[in-house]
Amino acid sequence: MSELAAVDAPTVADFARTFRRIQAEIHKVIIGHGQAVEEMLSALFAGGHVLIEGVPGTGKTTLVKTLGLAMNLSFNRIQFTVDLMPADITGTRVILTAEDGRREFTFQPGPVFCHILLGDEINRATPKTQSALLEAMAELQVTVAGVTHRLAPPYFVMATLNPIEMEGTYPLPEAQLDRFLFKVRLNYPDETELTRIITSTTGPEEAGVEAAFHADEAPARVEALKKLVRDVIAAPEMEHYAARIVRATQPQNSRYVADEARSVHDEMVNRYVMFGSSPRGAQALILGAKVRALLDGRANIAREDIDRVAIPALAHRIMLNYAAHSDGIDATHIVERVLKSVRAART
Amino acid sequence: MHPRENARPRDEKLWQILGLIGRLRSRLNWLAFQHAFFYATAALMVAGALIYLSAFVLAPIKFIAVTVTLSTLATFAFIAALRQGWLMRSNARCAAILADERAGLKGRLATIVTVAEHRKKGPMWSYLVEDTLSRQAEFAPARIQKRRVSRAIYAFIASLIVAGLAWPLSRIRHVSPIPASQGQDDLTLDLNDLHLRPAEPGDDNAMTVQADPETMRRLEDKLAREGVEPGQGASNSLGKLMNQARNMAGNLQDKLTGQRQSHQRLNLKLADAADPLAGRVNQSPLDAQNQKRRDAAGQFQRDQTNDGNGPLPRGTLHNNGGDEQEQAAGRSDLANQQQGANDPNATTKPLDDRGDQQNGEQGSSGGASHGIGVDPDSLFGSATQSKLGNEGFEIAIEARPMEHGAKGAGHAYEPPKVRTPLAAVQEPDEPVVRTEVPPDDRTTIKRVFER
Repeated sequence: MSELAAVDAPTVADFARTFRRIQAEIHKVIIGHGQAVEEMLSALFAGGHVLIEGVPGTGKTTLVKTLGLAMNLSFNRIQFTVDLMPADITGTRVILTAEDGRREFTFQPGPVFCHILLGDEINRATPKTQSALLEAMAELQVTVAGVTHRLAPPYFVMATLNPIEMEGTYPLPEAQLDRFLFKVRLNYPDETELTRIITSTTGPEEAGVEAAFHADEAPARVEALKKLVRDVIAAPEMEHYAARIVRATQPQNSRYVADEARSVHDEMVNRYVMFGSSPRGAQALILGAKVRALLDGRANIAREDIDRVAIPALAHRIMLNYAAHSDGIDATHIVERVLKSVRAART
Repeated sequence: MHPRENARPRDEKLWQILGLIGRLRSRLNWLAFQHAFFYATAALMVAGALIYLSAFVLAPIKFIAVTVTLSTLATFAFIAALRQGWLMRSNARCAAILADERAGLKGRLATIVTVAEHRKKGPMWSYLVEDTLSRQAEFAPARIQKRRVSRAIYAFIASLIVAGLAWPLSRIRHVSPIPASQGQDDLTLDLNDLHLRPAEPGDDNAMTVQADPETMRRLEDKLAREGVEPGQGASNSLGKLMNQARNMAGNLQDKLTGQRQSHQRLNLKLADAADPLAGRVNQSPLDAQNQKRRDAAGQFQRDQTNDGNGPLPRGTLHNNGGDEQEQAAGRSDLANQQQGANDPNATTKPLDDRGDQQNGEQGSSGGASHGIGVDPDSLFGSATQSKLGNEGFEIAIEARPMEHGAKGAGHAYEPPKVRTPLAAVQEPDEPVVRTEVPPDDRTTIKRVFER
């Protein structure tokens, strides 16, 4: 495990400038998906992982690749299939013969050992294999044969989901879903974006991505920026606000989240939500809001920042019941409704 | 550099920001105070003005209802204004949130205020303070809250206008349709000709009779003779309550208007006819006779304590003091009676009998009603000691013509009958003089009653 290079402490302006530069480099290749790219970068600097959901051909894999290139970080890709085994992800011990003829078990790192990991179509692997990512995502380490191996920071997992090919898939368990900071949706590009995609991808020249960092200092720069995000000040009111939103997504709490005078009353949550957001949702709200605050040149978060990241931070943590599916209600509707209720209760 | 020296400029910047927030807070609290004061005062002033106006234009029962309603509303409005002002008060955090919203500072000030008090400052604290201070022009108190005077002052001004208009409006409404008659000081009315009945609850056309206890007692006797119990109109508790309410409303109206005109009040004054007669030894026989007749009928004299604004109906009430022509006619009529009036005993005896009748009624031992349905053992009282007709009524009356009939009566107000001068051949009706019953006849009379 290499030590991080010493870099100067970034400022708020440095953060915003770096963020915008990486964003611009990605958009040299990725046409459209501006919000998805911003949310993905926000999750990266907030120290979280991203679940990308989109129909085939919308540039999920290309997006992740481009991100790795733009940040000059090591990048691996795992194509999840039904026969993929956990050891294929984490690595395994193999018998190697030394020069002196001795044979010994040596740990062979899997693709999880990198800075940016793309788990393509993660829902095609079995839950056992999917769970192999849990420890790496949560604790930045993997344990193989009783030996724990640390992952080099920064570590960023981006998993893609194909929402239409559900046959032969294994929906991600809630525990694993909860470990993704954001869930980003990639929608179909509009006509203008599609025209630009055609122009840029069918021509003789391919768009080149210029790395924002030097390779030797890229991890340290990213970690410094991540630390800066953590330093953003969150006033107690903002933390209460985030907590109130999260509690409002929970059916048993949606009726009286605040005090009785400012209760959040939302029948929609009680009717359609089976399980609300976990406390990780509140953490995601605050961390995402901190990134938004830095991008705005502030050292404090505001309610607007929390509202802005509420859907990517909470939607995938809310488990809907059959009534919601039959009525065509998705988690985004629930989050929007909860935000509206909490805002109304606040005023 | 010493850490304290390094922190001092940062603290100064922080105090600078907090000072601006404090000034903003003071301004907001001042506006909140104005809000509460202006609205509360306006509510009270408007209610007071309306109550004052209603004292002039409304009948007592309606007045008390309006007063209670307005007082209740004013109380609620007063409390609501104070409560709203209290809720509008601002602390530093509220002021910071307001400044954040109005200046688009996105929570900078609220974060500073909160974290400065409660939280351990992080490494980005200094950046936050300096960044916020660089925007101090955006959250200057005069920019965040431009108003120095609350909008509630409009309500206050409106209430002042209403209150200012209340006085002239009350003057306009108070002009009587019939001007008060001047010079009608004395009214000569026969008590027996007065049609008295107790007022019905809520009857705003009733008169309030005020007199000395003796006069009141005689009036009650008269009511008793007519088979009407005093207070009969308020036989139940509701009626008594209504009467009390009306009396209270009338008194309040009197105080508010400064005039005694909310009721038509009949002020009775019992006058001793003996003294005026004694003082009129040198009077002409005509005047003496006139005085005796006046005493015999009962003189109703206008109460000089009244303001005299209440118009008196001409022609319905006899005006002894003002109508010279009528008085002259009375003199001519009385001159024809002078022969019969020369004998003082002849004229005073019936009057004494009348007075004795009153005394007899008071003691239930004789008089006109003596012996009616009573125990035969108490049929006979003592003979009349005092002469009849030596006392009469001086009744000061303040009355106005009624615009409509009494409640439920279905006809216009019937003014008291006026004693007109008697012709020369006429004699005033006098009650039978009660004399001592001879002892021999008592047994016979008693036997008749026992039968």
